[in-house]
Amino acid sequence: MLTLEGISKSFPGVRALAGVNLEVGLGEIHGLLGENGAGKSTLIKIIAGALAPDEGDMIFAGAPARWSSPREAKLAGVHVVYQEFALFPQLSVAENVFLGSERRNRFGLIDHARTRREAGALLARLGVSLDVSATVASLSVADQQMVEIARAMTRNVRLLILDEPTAVIAGREVALLFERLRRLREDGVSVLFISHRLDEVFALCDRVTVLKDGRHVGTHETGDVTRSRLISMMVGRDLGDLFPPRREVARMREPVLRTERVAIGDRVQDISIELYAGEIVALAGMVGAGRTELALGLFGAMPLAKGAIHIDGARFTSMSPAKAIRLGMGLVTEDRKSQGLALLLDVAANITGPALAEVTRRGLVDRELEAAIAAREIERYRIGCRGPATAVATMSGGNQQKVIVARWARICRTVLILDEPTRGIDVGAKAEIYRIMRELAAAGVAILMITSELTEVIGMADRVIVMREGRITGEMPGSAATEEAIMHLATSERAA
Amino acid sequence: MTAALAIRAAVPWWLRSNAALAGVIVLIGIVYGIGASVSDRFLTLANLLNVIEQTTDLALVSIGQTLTVLAGGIDLSVGSLISLASCLTSGLINGNPDRVVPVVIAVLLLGTLVGLVNAGLVVTLRVHPLIVTLGMGAILQGVTLLYALGPVGRVPRGFSFLAYGRIAGLPVGATLAVTLCMLIALLLRYLPLGRQVYALGDDANSARLVGLRRGRILMLVHGCSGFCCAATGLYLAARFGVGQPYTGVNYTLASITPVVLGGTVLSGGRGGVVGTLFGAFLMSLLNNLLNFMDVSKHYQLVAQALIIILAVSIYVERRRME
Repeated sequence: MLTLEGISKSFPGVRALAGVNLEVGLGEIHGLLGENGAGKSTLIKIIAGALAPDEGDMIFAGAPARWSSPREAKLAGVHVVYQEFALFPQLSVAENVFLGSERRNRFGLIDHARTRREAGALLARLGVSLDVSATVASLSVADQQMVEIARAMTRNVRLLILDEPTAVIAGREVALLFERLRRLREDGVSVLFISHRLDEVFALCDRVTVLKDGRHVGTHETGDVTRSRLISMMVGRDLGDLFPPRREVARMREPVLRTERVAIGDRVQDISIELYAGEIVALAGMVGAGRTELALGLFGAMPLAKGAIHIDGARFTSMSPAKAIRLGMGLVTEDRKSQGLALLLDVAANITGPALAEVTRRGLVDRELEAAIAAREIERYRIGCRGPATAVATMSGGNQQKVIVARWARICRTVLILDEPTRGIDVGAKAEIYRIMRELAAAGVAILMITSELTEVIGMADRVIVMREGRITGEMPGSAATEEAIMHLATSERAA
Repeated sequence: MTAALAIRAAVPWWLRSNAALAGVIVLIGIVYGIGASVSDRFLTLANLLNVIEQTTDLALVSIGQTLTVLAGGIDLSVGSLISLASCLTSGLINGNPDRVVPVVIAVLLLGTLVGLVNAGLVVTLRVHPLIVTLGMGAILQGVTLLYALGPVGRVPRGFSFLAYGRIAGLPVGATLAVTLCMLIALLLRYLPLGRQVYALGDDANSARLVGLRRGRILMLVHGCSGFCCAATGLYLAARFGVGQPYTGVNYTLASITPVVLGGTVLSGGRGGVVGTLFGAFLMSLLNNLLNFMDVSKHYQLVAQALIIILAVSIYVERRRME
């Protein structure tokens, strides 16, 4: 159905794909495995026509394919369900399903009744019942995903690509999704299933291809390969090398940060946690469990609806980022590009961003002092760039992330919150970030790390706190944490 | 839950997409309440028709502007295009009744063409509509001044019927504006491309990934906007009896107020032209009230500005609640 040969793609500062081969058969569910930053997303964007490869050939359904836009790929029958979705939140379910292939009457005008009826029927075929007139914004993430899949089925879908579909849904929903994908396979649809969860790949896929650092490592029948073999193909090294050794921390008597039944927004409720100097606490849970909201709330970027935060013994019922920074806190946001970095500015300006007063002399910014500080941090954290004057936009994701971490590490004295600190960066940069986190903890900073990577939780955390649906559902020491125990707390349904 | 659904099902579609419409209607009610206590002439039918007549020009521009805003863009060339259209109308007709029909057609086509060029530039140069239309506005103002440095030409008496005429007691221009608004509302609702206007404004990246053709959508909205500006120019030429090179200047910003008041979200994707029509009416009504209260024109500008800022802040608050 689809054959890729020698696909390469580079972005400024990073080679995302280097000579990747991939073959997906007719009516096959093919798994694509790889760590974050292995190049999976880039590869599917190329298959979907959203990016053009620098080199290499693509053959789809027996004909050479060189798509200049996602539209062309769609017309050929390639549909992608992106992790972040391509939905229109303010439009209705039915409108979303048929967007671009509107159901018309004989005058060529939209037939709204037919649109709703057929959208309902399509969703029913997928085994979902939804109010097709509701806006997509009002749906759960799992239902939004179904709307995406239903949309793919409105056209002649021949290859359905799902980018980490299970990152956003939980247990029972995953099983339903798999059942639906198998049904599609029986209809002769090829599926490319991207994941980094091995269990799912074994449960669902016929064959699996592993990517690592933008290279094709191997393709195997899932029946012929073991779990540990796939892990070593994906990681290419032992986890022991990735995570720095844990150190025993003597817990202080008083927590540096304590929350008192905090509520943030209308979803995060009744949060009482304690963070102690020198420890790394992982905040685990599914995407959408409210972890990011909690982080933003602690840092004052979202208002506290209820409760209070105690920092170093002082009680606050409202917080603001400026106040948080004065109290020695730091926040590395989930989305470094839109919520962290000033992409067009240079490394120096990004590092001194929240501490501008420090480099201001007589009301003006002292660029030399700024550059000197930046040069020290670049050296210290081995940030890959030409110098303090390098524009951040031209650097790789891993180095960009180090810039942000360096920014906060320099001025953070009490609590550093990191939201998905290793998302989308390569393994080398990950190891560096982990090392920096350990160093900071050793220097007496309390670290709260939000992560969806269970290996990261187990490899790094001194203590694990699990959230589900806006509440804390459990806590365990890092030494006792297992993937199963965390997943249980993160997903178990109240009353099924 | 079911009650909510039932309520929603009972609301006609053109109201449903405009939740803010209720807000405008309440505001209109408030203005009427104040007006009634200021003067007993305020609540008369004659004054209502008068206000509707005065709404025509603002309504026409704003209807077009609504489309560009819905698609996630904006049109800042409207003021200059109105000036150009009004100058060409009276300059080319120049008092000759035989030229009225061909000139009207030509001006409407020209306005549409300008809109299409705006869309073409946005797509081919990949420049934000804000910049393209700002530049287009400057070019058109220059062209207008090359054509006429002051009032130019004149229109025959019959042409003024467009601005002052009444058919069955209804103002002609305003009736045409309402008809145009309804037509565009229907196009947005029933044309696949109309639906895609909302989609593009809602999430441009998703629109690309889904394979929508942005060029076509932009041509629709900017083409309509250009057409509406040309219509406004025609109307103003009919009202003043002569085209003036700066007659449209204030409309660029003024056209955005009714859009926002009518519930169209400035970032695009939600709203509609029916709301804009009420928004424009509210602005005229407010000016009418201030006239009754003997407030000077200059304060009227201040009042308009305060209203738009207030309106936007209320909507921002509302979104946060959701």
